[in-house]
Amino acid sequence: MIEALQQIGFRDVRACHYFNSFSGTTKEGVARKYGVQGANFVAYKAA
Amino acid sequence: MSIACPVNLDREKLKSEVRATYAKVAENPHGEFHFHRGPEYAARLLGYDLAELHTLPQTATAPFAGVGNPFMMDALPLGGTVVDIGSGAGMDCLLAARRVGPKGSVVGIDMTDAMLARARGGAAEANLPQVRFEKADMTALPLGSGAVDVVISNGVINLAPEKEAVFNELFRVVKPGGRLQFADIIVGTELSEEVRSNIDLWTG
Repeated sequence: MIEALQQIGFRDVRACHYFNSFSGTTKEGVARKYGVQGANFVAYKAA
Repeated sequence: MSIACPVNLDREKLKSEVRATYAKVAENPHGEFHFHRGPEYAARLLGYDLAELHTLPQTATAPFAGVGNPFMMDALPLGGTVVDIGSGAGMDCLLAARRVGPKGSVVGIDMTDAMLARARGGAAEANLPQVRFEKADMTALPLGSGAVDVVISNGVINLAPEKEAVFNELFRVVKPGGRLQFADIIVGTELSEEVRSNIDLWTG
């Protein structure tokens, strides 16, 4: 995700926060197996 | 990791499945799905302010199915223009509308008719005329180049099979000096092509 945004031209791309978005769902095991979680991202377009 | 769609994934079928899944959420947000919905989830796992969510119409909050919280980063600019990619029933759009104020504008983009209907009803009920909703694919936004201060999104870009096209379109609509602040899912391991070709795993 970060590399893809940088390749497009965005700057200062980073992930900021992480979330266990699938905790308690029927897909919790699959999420844990593949390391799936929610994340916040920011990316800036140069002025 | 590649951001391209696997060769053997039927992209139109994927989009159709995504529309069908989220139409079901719009019609019955309390139904059985393999992902969380609603304001209590948003507050408990994603850090939203439950008291603020309870001031919004339930038509907008009940189907909420985001995976993060795009309001945790920079504040949205007062009077600014914000676009929400995959706005669903509009909960994040209503929150954004309050933050940009009556002189700002918020555009929610979605491709599911049932979600758009809910979102428009919620915006009217919340009396936030600075919000509007448009039906569009996220690779072809009905917005001018450099028209947007901030793009938000919450758990939707991962549903697009052509992420490079999405990111190019976002780069086009954002003003110089503008930004993306969005939430999405990340995967901690390299997935096999078999897994990446499984539409059931994409639509969740």
